[in-house]
Amino acid sequence: MSDDSSGSRRFRRTLASVMLVQIVTLCALWLLQWRYSA
Amino acid sequence: MHPLNWAIVIGWLAYVVIHGIRRSAGTSELAGYFQANRSLPWWAVGLSVMATQLSAVTMIGTTGQGATDGMRFVQFYFGLPLAMVILGVTLVPFLHGSGVYTAYEFLERRFDAKTRSLTAFLFLVSRAMSCGTIISAPAVVFSAIFGWSIGWSVAIIGVPAVLYTMIGGVQAVTWVDVKQMILIVTAIVAVTITLLVQIPVSPSDALHIAGATGRLRVFDFSFSLTNTYTFWSGVIGGTFLMLSYFGTDQSQVQRYLAAKSVDEARSSLLISAYWKIPLQAMVLLIGVLVFVFYQFERPPLLFNPAHERLVRKEQPALYGELESRYTADVVARDAAARAVARARDRGSDAEAASAMQVYRAQQAGVDTVRTEALALAQRVTGQPSRDVNYIIPRYVLDHLPIGLAGLFIAAVIAAAMNAISGELNSLSTASVIDFYRRWVRPEAPDQHFLMVSRAATGFWGIFACIIATYAVNLGSLIEVVNRFGSFFYGSILGVFLLAMIPMSRATGAFVGLLAGMAAVGAVNFGAPSVSFLWHNVIGAVTVVVVGTIVSTPGSIGGAFGRAAARG
Repeated sequence: MSDDSSGSRRFRRTLASVMLVQIVTLCALWLLQWRYSA
Repeated sequence: MHPLNWAIVIGWLAYVVIHGIRRSAGTSELAGYFQANRSLPWWAVGLSVMATQLSAVTMIGTTGQGATDGMRFVQFYFGLPLAMVILGVTLVPFLHGSGVYTAYEFLERRFDAKTRSLTAFLFLVSRAMSCGTIISAPAVVFSAIFGWSIGWSVAIIGVPAVLYTMIGGVQAVTWVDVKQMILIVTAIVAVTITLLVQIPVSPSDALHIAGATGRLRVFDFSFSLTNTYTFWSGVIGGTFLMLSYFGTDQSQVQRYLAAKSVDEARSSLLISAYWKIPLQAMVLLIGVLVFVFYQFERPPLLFNPAHERLVRKEQPALYGELESRYTADVVARDAAARAVARARDRGSDAEAASAMQVYRAQQAGVDTVRTEALALAQRVTGQPSRDVNYIIPRYVLDHLPIGLAGLFIAAVIAAAMNAISGELNSLSTASVIDFYRRWVRPEAPDQHFLMVSRAATGFWGIFACIIATYAVNLGSLIEVVNRFGSFFYGSILGVFLLAMIPMSRATGAFVGLLAGMAAVGAVNFGAPSVSFLWHNVIGAVTVVVVGTIVSTPGSIGGAFGRAAARG
C-alpha cells in the first residue's frame, strides 16, 4: 500500500516536472525563432 | 577513416555483444526472455524506450534535415509528452496489470481471438519490413561513403544486434540500449561543442546566419491537413501517432511490460516525455550548425561520394563547369557571411541588414548550382538525387577530429542496433505468444517455447537483413508496405481505446477495426495529399465510433455488424 502511494507520488511529481520541462523547451525554441529569424 | 576511429567502432561493437550476452543471465525461461521477470528499473526501461525509437535515420537523416530544412521538423514531436501522460493513466495500467506478454494478447482477453490475431499479424508484417529499412538506410550510406558492398554494411549493423538479442532477450536489449543511449548522447553533445568551436564566428552570429535562411523557424501555426510539419499537425496528429506507437506497438509495449510495477512502467514512459523534444531539437541543431559551418568551408557539390564519382566519370565537362560556378559562388557566400558577422560585431543594424541581403542573394546562387548538380546526378545514376542523408557523414569524416569521428560512427551503428534489437525481440514475442503458443502448441513446456523464441529472433533477424540487402531493388514494395502500415496504425489504437469502453463488444471491435482501415484507405486514395499524421486520427476515431455503434444492443449497426462478423 505504501509502495503504491509512494509510486503514485513519484508519478505525479515526475508528471509535474515533465510539464515544466516541456514549457521551458517550447519557450526556448520560441525565443530561438523570435531572436534569430527576424 | 583513421585507424583509431576504426578501433573505436570495432571496440564498441565487441563491447556491446559481450555486454549483451553477459546480461542474458535469468533468461532460461520464457518470462525472463520476454519480460526480464518484470525486474527492470524504470529509468532503464525509459532509456530503452527512447533508444528503440532513435534509429540511425535520426542520427544521419534528421541531422541532414536540420542542415537543409532547419528546425521545423521538431513540431512532429509536440504531441509526444501529451501522449505519454495519457498512456500513463489509461493503457499502461490496463496492459501491465493484466500480466500479458503482448499487447495483442490483452485484446483476446477483452474481445476475442480473431481481433488479437489480426492486430498481431498486421504488426508482424509492418514491423518485419520496417526492421529491414532501419538497417538498410545507414547501410546504403556506409556503402557509398566507405565503398563497402551493401551486404557487408548490413552485416556490420545486423549481426551483432541479432546475436545479443537472440541470446539475451529483452534483458540484453534493455541494458545494451542504456549503454548505447549514453554513447549516442555523448556523441551528440561532443559534435555540437566541436561545431561551435570550428565555426569561425561567434555562436550568436552563427545563429543569425542560420536564421537568415529560415532554418531557425520552429513554429508554423497554419492549419493544414497536407503539411506534416505544423504546430497543429504535431499536437493533434502527433498525439494520435505517439499514442499508437507507444500504446499499441509491441516493440514499445514490451519494454514497459518488463518494468517492476505499473508506477515504474508509466514513470519509464515519462522519460521519453522529458527528453524527446529537447533531444530532437539538439539533433536538428547539429544539422543547422553544420549548415553554418559550410558557409565558411567549401562543401562538396554532391555529398553522396558514389554519385559524385559516377557523375564526374560520365559527365566530366558538365560537372566541371558546375563545380567552377559552385566554387565561385561559395567563395562569394563565405565573404558575405563574414561581412554579416563583422557588421553585427560593429553594432550597426543598418549595415547588418544590408549585409544580410547580400548574403541571402549569395546563398540563393549556391542553392541554384546545387539543384542543377542534383538533377544531373539523378539523370546519370537513375536514382533519387536527394543527398540529405550524406551531409552529416561527410562532415564527420572530413572535418571531425580523430577519435570523435569514430565515436559518431559508432553512435550511428549503435542507434541502428538499438532500433532493430527492440523490434526483433518484439517480433519474436508476437510470433511465439500470439501465433505459435496460441494456435500451434499451447501445451508445450517452457523450455520448448524458449528455444522457439530464440529461433524466431534469429529468423526475423535474417529476414530483416535480407530485406535490407535488397531494399534498393525492393524500393516500391517497401513503400507499399509502409503505406499499408499507415492504414492500420491508428485503427489498432482505436481497438485499444474501444477496449476501455465498458459497453464495447468483440464484434464491434473487429468490425470497427476493418472500418477504420477502410476509412484510412479511402482517405489515402481519395485525398492522397492529406498528411499521414492525420491517418492515425481518422483510423482511431472511425474504429471508436463504428465499434461503439456496432456494440450497441438493438442498433441497426449492431445487427449489421454481427451479421458481417459471422460472415
